[in-house]
This record gives sequence, C-alpha cells and structure tokens, in this order.
Amino acid sequence: MQDILQPVLNGILLGGLYAVIAIGLSTMFGIVRLVNLAHGDLLILGSFLSLVLASSVGLSPYWTILGVVPVMYFVGFFVQGFLLNRVLGKGMEPPLLVAFGLSIILQNLLLLIFTPDARSLMTRITLMTIQVTKSLNIPVVYLLDFLAGLAVILCLYYFFQKTYLGRAIRAASDDEGAAQLMGINTKNIYAKAMGIAMMTAGIAGLLVGTTFTFYPHTGPQYLIIAFGVIVIGGFGSMKGCFVGGFILAVAQLLGAHFLGPGYQLLSGYVVLLVVLALRPQGIFGTV
Amino acid sequence: MGELIYRSRWYFLGLLVLVLATAPMWGSDYVVLFCLLFCLYLALSQMWNLLIGYSGLLSLGQQAFIGFSGYTVAVVTNYYGVYIWVSVLIGGVLSGLLALFMSLFIFRMRGVYFGIGTWIFAEALLLWFGQWEYVKYATGLFIQPRHPPSITALYYGALVIGVGAVVLVYGILRSKIGLGLMAMRDDEIVSNTMGVEVFRSKLFCFLIAALVTGLTAGVLYTYQVFIQPYKAFAIDWTVKLVFIVVIGGIGTIEGPIVGAFIYVLLSQWLAEYISVSLLILGAIAIAVILVAPKGIMGTIQERLGFEILSPRRR
Repeated sequence: MQDILQPVLNGILLGGLYAVIAIGLSTMFGIVRLVNLAHGDLLILGSFLSLVLASSVGLSPYWTILGVVPVMYFVGFFVQGFLLNRVLGKGMEPPLLVAFGLSIILQNLLLLIFTPDARSLMTRITLMTIQVTKSLNIPVVYLLDFLAGLAVILCLYYFFQKTYLGRAIRAASDDEGAAQLMGINTKNIYAKAMGIAMMTAGIAGLLVGTTFTFYPHTGPQYLIIAFGVIVIGGFGSMKGCFVGGFILAVAQLLGAHFLGPGYQLLSGYVVLLVVLALRPQGIFGTV
Repeated sequence: MGELIYRSRWYFLGLLVLVLATAPMWGSDYVVLFCLLFCLYLALSQMWNLLIGYSGLLSLGQQAFIGFSGYTVAVVTNYYGVYIWVSVLIGGVLSGLLALFMSLFIFRMRGVYFGIGTWIFAEALLLWFGQWEYVKYATGLFIQPRHPPSITALYYGALVIGVGAVVLVYGILRSKIGLGLMAMRDDEIVSNTMGVEVFRSKLFCFLIAALVTGLTAGVLYTYQVFIQPYKAFAIDWTVKLVFIVVIGGIGTIEGPIVGAFIYVLLSQWLAEYISVSLLILGAIAIAVILVAPKGIMGTIQERLGFEILSPRRR
C-alpha cells in the first residue's frame, strides 16, 4: 500500500501539467469546433523557443516564459488567421488536413534545425524533492507543474468570464451570425482565441521541457495526451480537464510502477480506449 | 472533348493496365521498381480514399494495419515456415480481424474523434510491439521465406492488388452499398431515415480497407525484407496517404491513381534530400487544400465535366 502512494501522488501532480497541455486544445475545440492536430507540435515549438532563449540569454528556463508566451500568441494568431480561417466552414476534412500538414511541417522543420537529439530545460529544481514521510517524496518540479497548471486554468476561467475579449469569443462560438450582427469580427476573434490557446501551449511546452526530455518528434505524443485528457474528462469542461489529467497521469504512473517504465505510455492509452468504449462522452461530458 | 474522353475511357484504362502488366518485359529494373511502388501506394491510398471520400471515416491509423500485417507476415514465414503468398493472405485476414476488434472501441466516435482513436490504437500497437520479446523488441525482424519470390513475382502480386483495389472500390460504389454510402456522406441523418444502414455500411468499408491495406503491406514488407516497429507503425504512412489522396482529389476514384503516380515520382526525386522530403510533401498538401481543395482530378472534373471512372449511372 505504501509503495503505490508515491506513483499516485506523482500522478496527481503530473495531472496538473496534463491539464495545461490539454486546455488549449479543449478551448479551441469549444470555440471553432476544430481539433488542432498540430497542438502537440506547437507545444514542442514552445519548448524549443524556451531552450533557445534560455541558452542565448543565459537565464533560468522559468524566466523565458516572459518571451515564449507573447511569441506563441503571435504564432497562434497567424496560424489561425492565415491558414485555418481560410478553410473554416468548408466541411470537416480541410481544416483537419491543414492542421495535420502543419504538424508535419513543424516536426520536420524542428528536426532540421535542432537535429533529433534529446533536449531538456533541466535546472537545479529538477532534482530537488521535499521529504514528506520516510518513503514519500514530493518532486519540486512536479509541484511547480501542478501549481502552474492551476494558475493557468484559473486565469483562463477569469478571462472567459470577465473580460470583453473573453465574452466576445464565447459569443462568437455560441452563435457566429448573431455575434457578427453585434459588430464582432468573428474571424479576427478566432485568430485571437487561437493566440490565447497557444499562450497556454507555450507555458505547457516550457513545463514539459523542465520536467521531461523532448525531441522534435514528441509533439504527437502530447497531442495524444491532450486528447486523452479531454476524452476522459469530457469536451469543453475545465473541471473535466483537471480530472482527466489526474486519471490519465495516475494510470500511466501506476502502469509504469507495476509493469515497468516501458509500459507508462501504453497503460495510459489502454485506459483511454477503455473509457472511450464505456463512456464516449467522457466523465463530465454531456452527449 | 469531355464526351470523347468519357467514351474512350475503357480503352484508356485498358492501355494503362496493359502497360503496367508488360512492364517487366520492356522496362529496366528501375521502371519495374517504380511500377511496383506505384501499385502498392495506389492500393493503400485507394483504401484511404474509400474511407474518407466515400464513407466519411477519417482514419489516421492505417499504419496499425500496415504494421500489424507486416509483422504477421514476418512471424508466420520466419517462425512457422509458411509459404510467402499464404502468409501475405494471413496478414490481410488478420488485419481485417484487427479492424473488427478496433471497431468495438472506435465506432462509437465520430469525425475527428474517430481519427484520433485510430491513431491511438496505432500508437498503442507501436509501443506494444516495441516491448514484445516474441518479435525481438524494437530491433525488428528480417522476413526470410524459404523460397524468396523473385522481383517479377512480387511485382505481379502488387499489380493484382493495385488494379484489384481500384476495381473493388469501383464495384462497391456502383453497388447498392455505394449508393447508400454516397447518400450517407451527403447527409447522414436523412439517409439513415431513408433506410440506409449507416453503421453496417461504414463497418463494411472499414473492414474491407483494413483487409486490402493488410494485403498490400504484406507484399510491401516482403519486398523491403526488414520490418521494425518505429517505421511500420509510424504516422508517416498516413502522411503519405493524405498527400496522395489530397493531391489527386478526395472522393474520386481517379484521384489516388494520379496522386500515387505523383507521390512515387516526387519521392524518387526527394530521396536525395530525405530530411526535407516530408516537409515538402506537407507544404504541397497544404497549398493544394488552400488553392484547389478538390485536388487535381476533382478540379478537372468540375471544370471539364467528365469522369473517367464514374460511380454514377448515366
């Protein structure tokens, strides 16, 4: 019993990180009904941006958040404004295929620039732990991930409820025609919403970089994690994002604990497929 | 012009098949290799086209069938000494069964959920095969049949599958199921009300596509000799299929023929620049979706108003 406490605790903390990874994808799906298949690769782009900034300026990776987040806003704005907006409303496949093409381009571009070597944004904090009991430690980096995840989601919640732009985005997603009549430029709003989703992806990229190693081709892995979190939690629910993150992360770490580290990802996928088979709308989702 | 081409379409297609069938007699090894790859990619992309263009199923997990069938062929030929063409058949049948098993999970999903569900399945298979001692983990297997087929024999196998895939899709679309599929693609709810068996038709197409994809992959890996999980279950397969079908034209039978030809030609040219080849393919695909979303054949059909292999009745 004692020895499963550690993976469960780590899983809960890691769940916070998974929630940040997923929140951008979930938000964009809620607004434009588009699953951005390049989400994972854009997130890894954030990790690499942070790496470049940290190594060129010589700061701690955590400070690069000040540079990465604005840059990612513009990346998102342009991706939506110049590529995805042009194929919206032309059926299901074109936006998906454009996003898929973008994912391939990003992956190979990163591969070309940064070579396939493993990278990380490790700091002193990565190795620090807080001793709770004799056999139970809290890794500080996981705790930071969890707190950052909580902060990002609370900020996003406040943004959508209280600010003009947040309300305009919700209006555009509820009824595009009516929002246009009220003087909202919906295409522009979508681009801004994507910018905001990419800001969360930038933060997620930074956190992923400080917690794990990353490669140019790890993007799809995080897309699948994000998708898993959303499917388990239910689409369009922020609470669901958190709970989905916990379930997926705990499942992965318990799988790694009992079967060996090679089974970490696999056990997450199996849990995901089981949830899909039993409750396709997710735990907090409505049909 | 259009009418003339339409009338002479059988001669045209017959000529194409004849050229392909006699390729080993007049062509160099390089030409035969080119035609072999063309036939295999034609079959793979025609099946993906059947799914996305006619059944509304966006599968991002065709590599699950490619890898699974390739491994089946490797295992039954190496470990059990089964005759190579029989093991290719076993590979096809088993990948059809895999599709049946997958459908238990993913047929509850629609649209993009379906796509990512298939993708997750392929990723799970990749991880599983990479951890599995029986197939030598991630190091991969050499496919060593006791009587290795000659390149000509493999070529005719590929030709039968390639031409067969086109005939099969044409046949399905001209049948009652095909009518239902097209109604379903245009409006699923209405067609369901009118008595189209939506679920069964989709499942039928998914199984057929898995079966043919499995057969193709069997021939492909017999030709390539070596199979390794990180290549066999890679998303790169789906990237190639997306490229072929988007360039050629989604939802046209001629599209994958043109697309597969362009893809094989391009990939030969880009073989020297392996690091940027996927980058260029991705960029071309995006450009085509933005400029001519119906692809080459779709745009020609729209402008000139003719179809070579029309699933419609005249």
